[in-house]
Amino acid sequence: MSALNFLLGLAVGLGIYAGQQYRFKRQLKKTLRSYTNDKDGEVSLPLQSLIRRELSDLDRQRKKLEQDKQAWQDLIEQAPIGYIQVDGYNQLIGCNLSAKELLRIDARRSLRVRLLLELVRSYDLDLLIEETRSSQRAQTKEWIFYFTRYVSPQEPELEISTEQPLKKIVESIALKGYSFPLSNQQVGVFIENRQPLVELSQSRDRTFSDLTHELRTPLTSISLVAENLLSRLQDPERRWVEQMLKETNRLTELVQEWLDLTQLQSAPNRALKYETIRLYDLVQSVWQTLEPIANRKGISLTYNGDRNLIISADRSRLIQVFLNLLDNAIKHNPPEKEILVQTALYIPEQTSNIKQVKIDVIDSGVGFNASDLPYIFERLYRGEKSRVRSQKKLTTSPSDGSGLGLTIVEQIIQAHGGAIAAKNHPEIGGAWLEIILPLDKSNNQ
Amino acid sequence: MVTLDTIGKQNLRFFVINSKTYFKFYLIKHFILGSVTLSPKASPQEAGQLERSILRVQQEVLRMGTLVEESFRLSHQSLFEGDVNAVQQIVTIERQIDLYYRQIESNCATLMTLQAPVAQDLRKLSAFMQLVRDLERIGDCAQDLSEMSTKLMKYPNHQLLPEIAEMSEHAQSMLATSLVALADLDQTAGARVKEYDDIVDDAYDRLYHAIAFQKDIPGVVEPILLLGLIIRHLERMADHATNISQRVTYIVTGKRN
Repeated sequence: MSALNFLLGLAVGLGIYAGQQYRFKRQLKKTLRSYTNDKDGEVSLPLQSLIRRELSDLDRQRKKLEQDKQAWQDLIEQAPIGYIQVDGYNQLIGCNLSAKELLRIDARRSLRVRLLLELVRSYDLDLLIEETRSSQRAQTKEWIFYFTRYVSPQEPELEISTEQPLKKIVESIALKGYSFPLSNQQVGVFIENRQPLVELSQSRDRTFSDLTHELRTPLTSISLVAENLLSRLQDPERRWVEQMLKETNRLTELVQEWLDLTQLQSAPNRALKYETIRLYDLVQSVWQTLEPIANRKGISLTYNGDRNLIISADRSRLIQVFLNLLDNAIKHNPPEKEILVQTALYIPEQTSNIKQVKIDVIDSGVGFNASDLPYIFERLYRGEKSRVRSQKKLTTSPSDGSGLGLTIVEQIIQAHGGAIAAKNHPEIGGAWLEIILPLDKSNNQ
Repeated sequence: MVTLDTIGKQNLRFFVINSKTYFKFYLIKHFILGSVTLSPKASPQEAGQLERSILRVQQEVLRMGTLVEESFRLSHQSLFEGDVNAVQQIVTIERQIDLYYRQIESNCATLMTLQAPVAQDLRKLSAFMQLVRDLERIGDCAQDLSEMSTKLMKYPNHQLLPEIAEMSEHAQSMLATSLVALADLDQTAGARVKEYDDIVDDAYDRLYHAIAFQKDIPGVVEPILLLGLIIRHLERMADHATNISQRVTYIVTGKRN
């Protein structure tokens, strides 16, 4: 009896065990199936081998991924663009060779994980990283990184005492950073060296202004000679010389404008003579000089705003601004339509003590070409083909202009501590130049 | 005697058992948790709260140092390169420096009272409190310099200006060395900065002599007065930079000289 009981118990136990085992295997198979993306369907192998197969497969994948990762890391290490990565505490956890060179990270300083600010004292970079982290959005920023040389413990003797001018104490390099938020509050930043570009554009401008400077004297003498010739010549030759004189004068004007521009750019404050001006009178006087051209097309000027508004600025420069702007507006305005100039006091939100005036010059033409807008203020830029074409039929303007007009306007406005923006007016549809100028000199530096 | 003996035996057995369990714990700690806690790089997440707070304060001090350096550089640009925009920039930077100054000071005081740090941590915090004042003074001087530069702009460039520019660059280099020393906690920097300070002091004496004993000066005295003030300010800034590097030495060694 007891033997029977024992066997019965054993059988029940074995049954439960087998059931458990079966369930376990099924679960295991199910899990396996959910993880494998087997194309050749069910493989009828024992469970053990299936698991082994799966594991070795995973291991292979892991190794491959590791290799890939290593390859990418090597690639980034050697990349011609700098890359740094910081963690949530702003500690530098990765930095490639270019970045070390660009940011002058001293390889001799200890390389434990440490704060970025300890290695690179750049407030701009720090700000860029903070902004990226708080906004969790990719950012770009351009800045000039200054590096002040210090005496490192490895070379305690002062190189300064040898008085070498070629090793400067403060070096500067123009950089551009592209930052990206990563997981775990980390931030990665690509750093591009803009120094060659900056130097190139500087040398271009310098060469050009040197060239124009050299051109001025011979041009003046050519035009003097031509003027003298003019009185002595008879008609066929006289017409040629007249033509020559006109072209020479145009060139002289271009040269003069370029020199003005250079002067405004190099010493904006010294080039200005401040006076108090009634803005309305100034605009009216400019319009009077332009009226002959405007009358031919039947264009009128509408002035909106306070006529007693007084502003402190350089009169002759401001006349030049409105001359250029209104001349442009007349050129691109269709006949019998009006040009709108409106002025209003403008108070920016953050600083209430600086009084500014906002001046809008809006014409009724077709407006700027959208693709031209970013380059409008560039020197010698003369895109706007559609604008030119659209008014070809009613061509009244004698010359194209130098291509410097708007650049000069921008420089003058900036020298006054103001800002200018070019848009198309959403309602009228014409070109819309928006100028913001401070009212007093004392408020702009 | 007997009772004592049994008690002694019991104690001994108890001790043996205890030490066994301790040993077990020791093993568990080392072999199971060891891989976690004894990783080579202890990241701040695992560091104590005090360490984390100090790290944060240190970062703020460095940020302030960076701002001060920038302000110094801008004043240099406005003085010697005629950069007019620099003056405006310095005003905004100076405002930020003041904010950092107050914040760091109160943070240090809070940490010192609430966390009761000892030894190097305490020295660090107390040195920070002193050091930010030096930094703030350098910032103030930079602002003064930029204001003088606007006054000086009206006058033609003085012949001594390049030499003063060199003095200013030396002072900037001193500040940079001090800040690097602060980042690295390098105790040897103090001596090196002191050497530099002697160079700046010599330059001050020489320039003072050159400015003070000019003869046959046409026009007003303002430019000369300004030059005198400028070299005075630069010399003060160099002194503050020296102080910073010496406070770093104090943090590391605990000794003042």
